[in-house]
Amino acid sequence: MKRANEQAVEGFFVLSAYFSALLTVALFGFMLVLGLPLFAEGRIFSIMAQPWAPHLGQFGIQPMIVGTLAISLLSMLFAFPLSLGCAVLISVVSKGKVSWLLRKTVEMMTGIPTVIYGFVGIFLLVPLVREFFAAGSGMCVLSASLMLTLLVSPTMILFFCESFARVPDSYGKAALAVGGTEVQKFLHVTLPNSWPGVVIGFTLALGRALGDTLIALMIAGNAVQTPGSLLDSARTLTSHIALVFAADYESPEFKAIFACGIFLYLFTTFLMMAVRLLGVGRERWAR
Amino acid sequence: MGAVRRLQEVGVPFFSWLCGVLLLGSVIAVIGYLFVHGWRSIGLSLIFGTTPPLDALLMKRHVFNGLFPAVAGTLSLIVLSVCWAIPIGMASGIYLAEYAGPGTKAFLNLFFDILAGLPSIVVGLFGFSATVFLNRLFPGSIHPCLLISSIALAFLVLPYIIRTTQMALEGLPLSARMTALSLGASKLQNIVHVLLPQSLSGIVSGVILAIGRCAEDTAVIMLTGVVASAGVPRSLFSHYEALPFYIFYISSQYTDREELATGYGAAIILLCICLVLFLLAFVVKRQVSYHALYRA
Amino acid sequence: MENAVKIRTENLCFSYNGRTILRNASIDFAEREISAIVGPSGSGKSTLLMTLNRLWETIPRCTLRGRVEMKVDGRYYDIYEKSYPVTRLRRQVGMVFQIPNPLPMSIYKNVAFPLQLKGGLAKETVSARVEECLRKARLWDEVHYRLHSTALDLSGGQQQRLCIARALILRPEVLLLDEPTSALDHATARAIEELLLELKQSCTILLVSHYLDQVTRIADTIIELHNGTLVRRGGRT
Repeated sequence: MKRANEQAVEGFFVLSAYFSALLTVALFGFMLVLGLPLFAEGRIFSIMAQPWAPHLGQFGIQPMIVGTLAISLLSMLFAFPLSLGCAVLISVVSKGKVSWLLRKTVEMMTGIPTVIYGFVGIFLLVPLVREFFAAGSGMCVLSASLMLTLLVSPTMILFFCESFARVPDSYGKAALAVGGTEVQKFLHVTLPNSWPGVVIGFTLALGRALGDTLIALMIAGNAVQTPGSLLDSARTLTSHIALVFAADYESPEFKAIFACGIFLYLFTTFLMMAVRLLGVGRERWAR
Repeated sequence: MGAVRRLQEVGVPFFSWLCGVLLLGSVIAVIGYLFVHGWRSIGLSLIFGTTPPLDALLMKRHVFNGLFPAVAGTLSLIVLSVCWAIPIGMASGIYLAEYAGPGTKAFLNLFFDILAGLPSIVVGLFGFSATVFLNRLFPGSIHPCLLISSIALAFLVLPYIIRTTQMALEGLPLSARMTALSLGASKLQNIVHVLLPQSLSGIVSGVILAIGRCAEDTAVIMLTGVVASAGVPRSLFSHYEALPFYIFYISSQYTDREELATGYGAAIILLCICLVLFLLAFVVKRQVSYHALYRA
Repeated sequence: MENAVKIRTENLCFSYNGRTILRNASIDFAEREISAIVGPSGSGKSTLLMTLNRLWETIPRCTLRGRVEMKVDGRYYDIYEKSYPVTRLRRQVGMVFQIPNPLPMSIYKNVAFPLQLKGGLAKETVSARVEECLRKARLWDEVHYRLHSTALDLSGGQQQRLCIARALILRPEVLLLDEPTSALDHATARAIEELLLELKQSCTILLVSHYLDQVTRIADTIIELHNGTLVRRGGRT
């Protein structure tokens, strides 16, 4: 009797685990099935490459792919050096209470809701950008990437700090023992020995930047065009899904958003695979 | 060599402090801006409008010009999603930590890593397309609603709960694992009576972070049933309001200063909820390390 | 008169992570005696204990070959036989570790825990058994007035006696002790030795010990291991 109960509970454990794994596949399957007409007509490649012009019967997502890449890569361009600097500040330059306080602040930043960044972005950053460059509405690639920088930096900083901490202490002691300074120890021992962690942190943060919806949706302007400059308005894949989903279920517009979903799914999966190949300890992803 | 070295010795700390000041400055600017412009709207009337609070809480009267429906929506969303996610997430975590062999573990973890990395809008799209699909099978029965949103959100936070459960269990020392077994406990008894209680604080802090994610997520609920104005959610199958969506909506659709002020108020409330949850997770985690120290 | 054999190991080979710990260890342990297992560290003493209640199975990357037989109700059983439930085995073979491992619960609950796991006993029986075992372990006088306060506040010696009481509540036929006194001060260690001498009336005791004086004081048989195999076996000298 007791044994039967135990087997039932253990069966529930197994089922849950496989259910959760299956869910990941089902998510992809659903998008594939609903976007299937695109594949059947062999239009998936033209969709990836075409512009979005519903009045001309073109439902390409190429502008959105470019917009997504532009905004996320630009934000990584800002965030990477910033995060590296902050991580060095926390792990090497500052000591004791200051270091602790900085780390806690960064950890706290991971808890700030995305929508808050978007909201403050609209009322604080966008006017600033508009005034400063005296061009356009201020809702542009630049504004979105700046806010996105704030969103993804904490993930990277914490990850970098942890990678630095994982470099065996004995290595560093050796550097100090031959008369090296803390800075030399960092540049010649810690950094070269933690580069896989740095790459992984970058990759995870890139995934987060690609997948974010709210910031781009609120302050990138959402114009369906391939952005030509940093001050141009742009639309990301994620915003596109959010903006178009309400249309008619059977319309090609609607099917095209599944192409966006599939693209995002594949891209983040690809990044996650890269992270695993780089030999990440799973405990290390933060948020 | 001397010049390069001196440059390093000065340059590296200078650059790092610059980055630190830049980051801290930006965060303080964001939070400060919110409070400077929004503190005036904080008060009971922000939440309850002109309705007496007690009447609103007892559902005697509708609240039309306050955040009460959005707060209620967010709370019900959190409670429901966590209810779905905890049993499945914990069970999966237990399976991974205690039952799965190394191969199975690596295989399943691959999926959970992918799930954890998915953009929330993709999870939202899944929730939405599942609804469309169900609606085709059973016409007219299923529409985007509180239930659908909470299930989609549960999918979003599932990997967090799986991972923290797994990590907390795997982090227990071998000696803690052996105690009950040496007294004749079965594997499951050991998990239920000893291992789970001892890793509870780790699991709880994971759950708190998951709650924070439910509270702040906008992308999933946008696609699965949240609306700008629906009143307090009446049932699982009704539309509902939520704080983050309200903030998003007001930021582009506000018509007058008063509405905007409410938006600021909502942003402050949401921020405070998330920060309090963060602090709570921090305190619970501290308890863990204290506990570990004590047992060593 | 020689006592009957309670536990017999035959050609026991054990390896952890590819490293051999026990090599062809064939050892008999006599009933209702204190058998002391001695030898340099790394000679496989603790591992030997864990093969007798199958506790090693919780550790990953371990393999075991050979047989372990135990006499239960006058018959010898292979304890690795599939039909022999491991939980039953562990109820018959109690174990006390080097570092006291009370669970984070009250004193009473700690001692009653094994019975709770087994289930099916009335409350009164349980509390009577708890008192009986705490008395046997000579802890009753120190804790009877605070049975429901946490066990983690007890001193090291008290915790270890609590663990012995907890192992005794299942009325085990064999008690495995892995250096039970090495974390304790001298006086407390002596008290526990006294306790073991009393317990051997009802129980077969296997004691891993580093202390030669302790071994000569209480052991009936001394079993010396070296490099995972039996090198010498002798009486008390």
